Amino acid sequence: MTATSAAALPATTEAAPAARRWAAPLWVGALLIILAFLVVYPLLMLFFGAVSDSNPVIDGFGKFNPSLEHFVTVLANENVHLAFVNALVACGGGTALAVVIGLAFSWIVVRTNTPFRGFIAGASMIPLFVPPLVAGVAWSILGSPKTGLLNTSLKWIGIDFRFDFYSMSGLILVFGFYYAPYVYMFTASALRNMDPSLEEASEVSGASAFTTLFTVTFPLIAPAILAGSLLSFVVMLGIYGIPAALGTPANINVLTTYIFKLTAWSPPLYNTAAAVAILLMLVTAILVWAQQRVLSGKSFATVAGKAFRPRSLNLGPWRWFTFGLALVYLFIVVILPTVALIIASTRKFLFFKDFAAVFDMKAYGWSHYASVFDNPLTMLSIWNTLKVGFITALVGGTLAFAIGYTINRTHVPGRRLIDLLSTIPVAIPGLVVGVAYLWAWIGLPGGLYGTLTILALAFVARFIPDTVKALSTSFMQIHKELEEASWICGRGLLGTIRSIMLPLAKPGVVASMTLLFVLAVRELGSSLFLYTSNTTVMAVLLLDYYEGGNVGKTAAFSLVQTVILGVLLGITNWLSRGAAQGSARAG
Amino acid sequence: MSAALLIKHLVKQFGTGKPAVDDVNFEVPAGEIVVLLGPSGCGKTTTLRCVAGLEHPTGGRISIGGRVVSEPQRGVLVSPRERDIGMVFQSYAVWPHMTVRQNVAYPLKHRRSGGGDIDAKVRETLELVGLGEYADRSATLLSGGQMQRVALARSLVYRPQLLLLDEPLSNLDAKLRIRLRDELRRILKATGMTGLYVTHDQAEAVVLGDRIGVMRNGKLLQMAPPGEIYNRPADSFVANFTGASNFLLGKVLERKGETVTIDLGAPGRIEAWTPQSLAAGDTARVALRAENIRLGERGPVNAFTGKVVDRRYQGMQTVYDVEFGGQKLEVLELGTAARHQPGEVALTLPPDTCWAYRDEGQAAVE
Repeated sequence: MTATSAAALPATTEAAPAARRWAAPLWVGALLIILAFLVVYPLLMLFFGAVSDSNPVIDGFGKFNPSLEHFVTVLANENVHLAFVNALVACGGGTALAVVIGLAFSWIVVRTNTPFRGFIAGASMIPLFVPPLVAGVAWSILGSPKTGLLNTSLKWIGIDFRFDFYSMSGLILVFGFYYAPYVYMFTASALRNMDPSLEEASEVSGASAFTTLFTVTFPLIAPAILAGSLLSFVVMLGIYGIPAALGTPANINVLTTYIFKLTAWSPPLYNTAAAVAILLMLVTAILVWAQQRVLSGKSFATVAGKAFRPRSLNLGPWRWFTFGLALVYLFIVVILPTVALIIASTRKFLFFKDFAAVFDMKAYGWSHYASVFDNPLTMLSIWNTLKVGFITALVGGTLAFAIGYTINRTHVPGRRLIDLLSTIPVAIPGLVVGVAYLWAWIGLPGGLYGTLTILALAFVARFIPDTVKALSTSFMQIHKELEEASWICGRGLLGTIRSIMLPLAKPGVVASMTLLFVLAVRELGSSLFLYTSNTTVMAVLLLDYYEGGNVGKTAAFSLVQTVILGVLLGITNWLSRGAAQGSARAG
Repeated sequence: MSAALLIKHLVKQFGTGKPAVDDVNFEVPAGEIVVLLGPSGCGKTTTLRCVAGLEHPTGGRISIGGRVVSEPQRGVLVSPRERDIGMVFQSYAVWPHMTVRQNVAYPLKHRRSGGGDIDAKVRETLELVGLGEYADRSATLLSGGQMQRVALARSLVYRPQLLLLDEPLSNLDAKLRIRLRDELRRILKATGMTGLYVTHDQAEAVVLGDRIGVMRNGKLLQMAPPGEIYNRPADSFVANFTGASNFLLGKVLERKGETVTIDLGAPGRIEAWTPQSLAAGDTARVALRAENIRLGERGPVNAFTGKVVDRRYQGMQTVYDVEFGGQKLEVLELGTAARHQPGEVALTLPPDTCWAYRDEGQAAVE
């Protein structure tokens, strides 16, 4: 596409001017340098850190004593083994539960006549928007073995059973409940796209509806189930907030919490953290690769791409039972935690001597909120979060547009490499991005470390694959000929992007930027290693409050954060809808 | 304004393997409309896109109005925007975020040589394509036929030297297609534009083209006025593609100028016209259009006896399957009456409509 860049009107015959010949390589080079800076360099530093014993803070940049021995020692460490096994058990158990819940809901929503299915479909996606740490905090308030609200309630009723969410099973339950939507997303669309005659054939052959479900339906959507469960496993593996809130009190470390612990020790064990981070990244990469294989495999062949009217099973009176199941789920993941946070944040002391004490209004007040906002760090963290979110959305959105356009719309040499580099972060959990950025910048003079910019850059790197993918989808919906027509009409490459591509891709661009903004606002894992007291963000400050042990303040700030996130989601949703409608009106 | 297009030894190779366009040569004199016709994948659209500059040829030379716009051997490649061409795309490519007027005014605003009274030019062109009243309508509120006219107006408004049309009617329904086809020719002729038109529809090619070029597997097989393509096809593929569905196999006995005598075996000898260098002893394949065979007539030459084995009445015409010395012929009789019964029948194959080609097997035909 170099030939479309500006040049003087040619004479009868002419060779391409130098500017035109160099435009494409310069552009590709610039993108590659940016991606190298954002992705490749931090990863290389992480590897260097893992195989050396030099301290990045003290020794600075020049001094490495590379030796595989160090890495091997770390991998042989018992604590690492324990954290690794814990992570596999927690994520494995959580995934199993998520599959059961996600599959049940996709079947209820797509294949039955359960009432209010649209509502159930919407409600089952809510957990996706709950920040993991907030969920963890809420469930520690509900399920801590001594003071948990659930246990207090059980005591009043007189049941001699106590919940303990500070345990592996607690971790598994919360993981399973909150990450079921990942399985649901895949299985619901697979069920929707499945040719109903495959099931009808089974029933005509004499199988009962129940047998058909387990011998035809579920086996046919097995690839979707597998893809969804691999994704939810990967997400759980990278989560810091929930295991930090529920595992740490019981001394259960998973890989993420263990890595953070290593850097929080004094002196911090940055090399060990890098080595464990690489272990975490390897596991993630393998699973992501497996998931891509499942998705690209031919296994979906039996499930046609054609649109069918999905069969809906008449459940009779049982449809109220399935509806009840949905309500119970909603109660567990949304209502119960919210109520717990509200009670904990407004009660001066989280102690009930009997049931009547719940309604003792004198025990309630706004003191926790007051003390949260008395802390100057609170407002600072909110501003910082919004600033970082804004920078991330702007920089990430622009970069993703440039990358998406280059790999989807041009034939410049080197675009495959750009594609590859911008996809790598898919396999890197946020926490590992944090450790890699720490290694990359902490020892460098110039002061990038400890600024808001470094946080934003880490977020851009972390979310670039999702953003590019989202934008590529909207590019693909714009027919190539719309662009070619503009070139023919005499407009150059840049002019065409401005007057044709940008207006047409606007809904997609606005949507990806707002998504980036929200993702950046709720990100915790990568912030953990990059913040300073001046650049603290909401998620990090919440963790501080939690570890400080003041339940009331933690609950209050959790709610503040949730409300801010909710308002932001509302605004961004309204913004992207506006963009979509605006372009629908004009186009 | 309109200028000639000259294409010499054009080659376009995607990756490795067979080239998509393989040594194509032709010329479109100023003011003439040439239609490239062929099955999908024959290279006609690639040729067009090379002329537009949207594909970069790997060999040969393209010049528009005497100016070389592409010659890879010498590193010449003029970008599409500098070729002074107009193009109507298969998908119309009407920009959905603009009104009809904005679409049509776009090239005038963004061309260096454009400008002048934009409003007047837009109005005049919209009148020409019959969309005068739709100027302020959003492009999304148009029907397929109207979009097609907007696309045409947009490519005509700046009076380019050359107009390229890439199957512009293929997305319309059959009735509209026929109406717009006739109108398209009227508009193009009214503007005196040089045109290169790509289609796979023969009827479109015949109506629109001053000359038709038939392509196959990247090669231009024949370029001639429609009458010549239909009455003097250069090879068996062109004959078959334009509708000669009957083939008779035989041996060449002798040749006199363009006339050959062929031994068909059991039925006897046949006289035929050939454009190829057939010599005595060659195996020949004689192509015949079903509507050129005279049933129930015994002419001075090429008169035979056949046997009607099946008859399909189609209202305005009747199709007969005729057995003819062990070979089969399909014969078309126009008119609402079916005059021949199953059984013995006289038939004449006028020598002018029997075209003999070297036999290269069935695969070379289809």
